[in-house]
Amino acid sequence: MRRRDFLKGCAYLPACSLLLPSFIFAYNGRPLKRYTRALLVWEDGRPVKPREIKPDEEYIFFYPFRATPCILVNTQQRLGEVRLHLEDGTEYIWNGGIGPGKSIVAFVAICTHQLSYPTRQRTLISYHPPGKRSSLIGRDKVIQCCAHMSAFDPTKGGKVLEGPAKDPLPAVILAEDKGKVYAEAVLGKDLFEEFFDVYRKDLRKEYGSSRKAKERVDRCVVIPLRKYAREVIKC
Amino acid sequence: MITTRRELIKAGAGSLIVASALGPSITFGMMPMHHKSRMLPPSKKPRVVIVGGGWAGVTTAKHLKKKLRDRVEVVLIEKRKIFMSCPVSNVWLGGLVEMDFLMHDFQTPASKYGYTFVNATVTEINRHKRRVYTNQGYVDYDYIVLAPGIRYNYEAWFGKDREMARICATSFPSAFIPGAEHVALKRKIENFEEGTFVLVVPPPPHRCPPAPYERAAMIARVFKKNGVRGKLIILDPKKEIKPKGKGFKSAYEQLYKGLIEYVPNARIKEVDPIKKVIKTTAGDFRFDDGNLNPPHQAGDLVWLTGLVNPKTGWCDVDPLTLQSKKDPRVFVAGDSASVKGFPKSGDMAHNHSQNMLVNALVAIISGKDPYSAVRAPTNTCYSMVNGDPKEAIVINVLYDIDRKKKAPKKKKVNVENKRSKSLATATFEWARALYRDMFS
Repeated sequence: MRRRDFLKGCAYLPACSLLLPSFIFAYNGRPLKRYTRALLVWEDGRPVKPREIKPDEEYIFFYPFRATPCILVNTQQRLGEVRLHLEDGTEYIWNGGIGPGKSIVAFVAICTHQLSYPTRQRTLISYHPPGKRSSLIGRDKVIQCCAHMSAFDPTKGGKVLEGPAKDPLPAVILAEDKGKVYAEAVLGKDLFEEFFDVYRKDLRKEYGSSRKAKERVDRCVVIPLRKYAREVIKC
Repeated sequence: MITTRRELIKAGAGSLIVASALGPSITFGMMPMHHKSRMLPPSKKPRVVIVGGGWAGVTTAKHLKKKLRDRVEVVLIEKRKIFMSCPVSNVWLGGLVEMDFLMHDFQTPASKYGYTFVNATVTEINRHKRRVYTNQGYVDYDYIVLAPGIRYNYEAWFGKDREMARICATSFPSAFIPGAEHVALKRKIENFEEGTFVLVVPPPPHRCPPAPYERAAMIARVFKKNGVRGKLIILDPKKEIKPKGKGFKSAYEQLYKGLIEYVPNARIKEVDPIKKVIKTTAGDFRFDDGNLNPPHQAGDLVWLTGLVNPKTGWCDVDPLTLQSKKDPRVFVAGDSASVKGFPKSGDMAHNHSQNMLVNALVAIISGKDPYSAVRAPTNTCYSMVNGDPKEAIVINVLYDIDRKKKAPKKKKVNVENKRSKSLATATFEWARALYRDMFS
């Protein structure tokens, strides 16, 4: 990476090295968007501590808006920097995991192929932890969408492993601060605009209005996905 | 509108050329009823006219416009007033989903993505002039995408006897082209009380390879629910059920034992829709009612252009760009195109239109190499096999691009033959997601 690229990336996240434990580069500046800093808490209101995030569990929280779901997993793997690219050629670098083992990661849980996302009724997007392989595509350690079988690698910044999706899952930039976990930004090509557009009717039913669904959050309740969605579809 | 004697003679001569190129099965234009007036003003940008608003056509219109925006004018011509999905229609026949799930409008995506939707019937395509005639006027094109789906080849059963073909199509509609035929078939299935109901599987390649077997399961589901005293006979020209054979077979055995009889190697020798007898290479079968599916061919519009390979009944195209091998201004999308290894399915039409045809056309219009722009498609196909509870099976095929051979090749085939409720739920999301892409 050239110094100029480094500075360009940082320019989109002012003083990023001070705010985040590790800084982010975004070539062309495009794929990184900073939102309200939000504290991750459990359902009882206690702040989430990195050590409490279980390796075999998959969690959901909503960030940066009230209605935009994200998936949180502890991959049990020390994760470092990964270079990714979007279909349009934009390159960016994902910085890896957080927590004591640098293994905790989060991604926006809206499939980049056709916007499938977890609802209270069901989720077709889920995580296959090590050893629990997808019966259909035979892979573990993947976030898979069972609508059209796109598989993403949470250990590689959400990179597409197979299926029709072209762009990686956008990563949620997490930061640790005094033992607490914060969500701070979204890295990659987010599809929030399309999401709010195509699901207008569903979101109005769930949140009362589009305006409410689009409210930015400063606090995210973290829930095991199996508790949030009545049916977790694995395939 | 033909108003003068000269026009009448001209139109007649034109249609004679078309008719002689197409053979006697073509019913188009012994006297074309197209307007000789210009429908749209000339375009300063390259104009792409897409004929046929099915899965391939609607997908192409949206993604072409989304990628090139103001650098292209896109016109979608479709004769139907409303879109009805053929994928998932078997599930509707089985009574597991409402019809509004299948129905969509053309106006919303046209208005949102900025392409022109024209609700008209194409009567003639003049490739020399690069002009499409419709019943509402003509439109000139720089590139044309033909996406008319399929037509039924009743000639294979009845030769020149059109009356017999008409009787067969009316009495035992195929319902592989969405519309009233589906409604008629559903009434048949629901009204059937006893006897033999026959389902004829068309010879490959036909639209949606697993569809006849899924349809059989859905019909059997209704028969079981209604306590029908009789059976459903599947007459298959193939030697075995393909794809997802294991999944269909176990569903037939476990869920519909005694209700479904599967007959392989049953190639049609003769169909008599009046006496209700079908003679096949696996024996003769009398039936009380049925779903008689003749062989499929490329849609009528492609025949109008003279670009169909008469030996196969399909259109030969470049397997990566879907560009016609005879006319570089013509692309063929969806079921009418013949690409080795590609099934004729809604998902495949959506996938190859978006990843191959659109990318190639964008590159051509932008003066770039189309081959390097093409992306590999995938194809996912769910089949509902049970309704109580809803359970499905699935196949998912990943392709790669062989850049040297300039052709797609299969990379991986994922199959789940164990039916499950999860896959039934996924079936509906599979469809919703693609409808979202095309129509919202």
